[in-house]
Amino acid sequence: MRLVPIPTSEYEEYRLNLMFDCYKWDPQFYDNNTVAKYALVITEEEHKHISSLTESLDKETRAAEQFLNNHQELVAPLKLTRQLRGDIGRMGNYNPDQHIRLTRYDFHPVSDVEGGWAISEVNSDVPGGFAEASLMPRAAIECLNRAQDIEQIMEKPSYHFVSFGDVMVEAVKKKVKAGGRIMLVHCTCYSDDRQVMQYLGDRLVSEGYQVIYGAVEHVSFKNNKAYCVLDGNEGELDAIFRFTPLEWFKDIKPKPWQGYFDTEAVSCNHPVAIYAQTKRFPFVWDTLEGNGINMTTWRRLLPETIDVKSSAGREGYIYKPAYGRVGDGISIREALNIKEYEKIMKDVGRHPSRYVAQKKFASIPLKGENGEEFHVCLGSYAIDGAHGGYYARISKTPRIDSNAADIPVLIEGGDSYDS
Amino acid sequence: MTAKEVYKIWAPTGKKWVDWVRPVPFMGIGQYQKAYGIINRALPCIQFLEQAENNELNAVLGINGWEKAYLEQTAIIVDMSGEESVRYGVALAKYGFRPIPVYNGTLEQSGSRATVDNQSVGMALELMAKELQKIEIADEARPAFLLDRNRLNRYKLEDSVYDNSWDVYPQDLPSPDYLLEQGIESILVVGGRKISRDVKKILATHQKKGLKIYHTDGYERPKLQFVWKLPSWD
Repeated sequence: MRLVPIPTSEYEEYRLNLMFDCYKWDPQFYDNNTVAKYALVITEEEHKHISSLTESLDKETRAAEQFLNNHQELVAPLKLTRQLRGDIGRMGNYNPDQHIRLTRYDFHPVSDVEGGWAISEVNSDVPGGFAEASLMPRAAIECLNRAQDIEQIMEKPSYHFVSFGDVMVEAVKKKVKAGGRIMLVHCTCYSDDRQVMQYLGDRLVSEGYQVIYGAVEHVSFKNNKAYCVLDGNEGELDAIFRFTPLEWFKDIKPKPWQGYFDTEAVSCNHPVAIYAQTKRFPFVWDTLEGNGINMTTWRRLLPETIDVKSSAGREGYIYKPAYGRVGDGISIREALNIKEYEKIMKDVGRHPSRYVAQKKFASIPLKGENGEEFHVCLGSYAIDGAHGGYYARISKTPRIDSNAADIPVLIEGGDSYDS
Repeated sequence: MTAKEVYKIWAPTGKKWVDWVRPVPFMGIGQYQKAYGIINRALPCIQFLEQAENNELNAVLGINGWEKAYLEQTAIIVDMSGEESVRYGVALAKYGFRPIPVYNGTLEQSGSRATVDNQSVGMALELMAKELQKIEIADEARPAFLLDRNRLNRYKLEDSVYDNSWDVYPQDLPSPDYLLEQGIESILVVGGRKISRDVKKILATHQKKGLKIYHTDGYERPKLQFVWKLPSWD
C-alpha cells in the first residue's frame, strides 16, 4: 500500500472535477482541504486479502444480528437507548432476503496485530462515502493518465478500482422491481447528507428507477407498506434507502417512524443494523459464540473492547462513544489538544455507559512527499455479503475524523481502467 | 455559462479565501424548476462604508466607535435575505472585499413545497457572476462571507413540506486562529436587527480568541457587540 501524488499541475482541476462531477460538495472543513493530494494504491494481493476479510466479517455480522433479533432477551449488554429497546420488538418479521444489507468496515494498517490489519469499527447503520467510492477513483486515474507523457505510458502501472455504485445498483436490481419508487431518506437540512443521496439517486434514475428525496417524517406506514407523504410525490414506495441514523429518530416529531422497523418495503438499511452499530457490539460475542455463532474474524481484527469501568487503572486504552460517527469524540491523546481531550474525558467520567474502552492499536503511517506521514483508514464495503468497494481517508494524526482528507483507492495491476 | 464556469468566477484558482466557497448552490445551476420573472441586478449602496468615507475625520478619531482603519483588518459576514445577499457581496467587491458564498442549502424534491427558496440564491449567483467578473479584486482583498438569512426559515405548515433550511457551522468558515494569522482582527456582521443564532454560536469562539465583533443592519454605523455563548443544546 502506498501513496501516489496527484500531479501538482493537475490537482486544482482534479479538485474542481470532484466537486462538480463527483458529488464532493464539502471540499473544505475549517482550514483543512478535505481532498487529498494523493491516491491510495493497494496491490491486487492486498485487495484480495481485505475484500476476503470484509466478506468474512460481514458473514459474522449478519449471522449475529439475525440471532440477536430472534433472541432479543440477550441484547441487554448493548445498552440500546430506551426508544430503540421499544422499537426493536417490531422487527420480528425481519427477513434478510427481502432487504439490502450495507456495511462498511474501517481497516487500519497496524504493527501490533497479526496480519498487519486491524479494524476500528463497522459502520453498520448508515455508512456514507458512496460517490468517493465510485467516481473519485476514476477521476484520479484519468488525472494520473493525463499527467504521463508518451514514453512513460509504456512503463506506467495500470490501475483499476471497485465501483461501489456498480455493486449497489446490481443489489438494488435484484430486490427492487424495475422502475420502482425509491425514497432516499436523509436529513434534508444537511448538504453533506444530500451529496451522498444525490449520487445514489442520479445513479438509480439512470437505471430507470423513480427517486424521491425526503426526510424520515415523509414516509408513513400502513399494513407494513411504506407510503411517501411529501407533497407532490404521494404514493406507495417500493424501497427505502435510509441515511438518517436510527438513534436520531427519537428527536423526530411527529413519530411515524416506528413503521421503519417492520416495513416490508425493501430497506437499506433495515433497522436490524443497530445491533452491530453500537460500539458495545463485542459485549455480546461470548453469548453469540456460546450459541454457535462464529465471531473469529471480528475477534482477530477488532482490538480488545471493554466496559469503561473495567478499564480503570489499565494502560493503553482509548475511549469511544458507543454511537460515535466519523471518528469524533474518540480520546486519542496525541491527536487532540489538551482542552479537547479533557472535554472527552470529563464526558466519559460523567456518562461511562455512553462509551467503550478499546485497546489502542499502533497505526503505521504511510509516507507522502517531503517526508510527510499520513495515517490511513481504509473503509471496505459489503453489500449483501459481497465486497462493494472502498472509501478511504488520510490524516496527519492517528485519529481519522472530520478533519481528514478523502482519498481515492486504486488497485495496482490487473486489468487497467479504460477511460 | 456552465455551473463550473460560474463557480470559477466566484472562486478563481489560487486566490485567497476562495477555498471556503461552497459548491452547493452552484450545483443547481441549469436545473431550476421555478421560473423567476425579473431578478434585480442593481448593486446596493453600502451605507455604512459611505458614511466612513464622508466622515473620515470622525472615523479616524474613532468618535463613532467605528474607525475606517478597522476595515483594513475586518472580515465581513453578509447575512441578508436570498439574492439580496449576493448583490450586496458584489457591491462589497467594489470596496476591496472578496465575496465568498458559503450558502449551503439544497434544492427541494421536485414537485414539493420547500421552507427555503434556495433556487433564487443559485440563480442570483449565476446572474451576478457577470457583474463580479467586471470588478478587479486585489489579491490581498479581505473576505466577505455571504449567507442567506432565509436559511433559518424552519417553520413547516404541514409535515409534507420539504425542509431545506440550514445553519452555518464553525467548520464552514475559517477558524479564528487562521483569521488572526491573516491579520483579520474584527468581524463585521451586516444584516438583520440582531446577529443570527447560528452565527452567534460561531462568533462567540472568535470573540474569545480576541477578534472584535461588530454588527450593523446595513444602514447604521457598525456597533461593537458582545456575543454571549449560547448553550450547546440551543
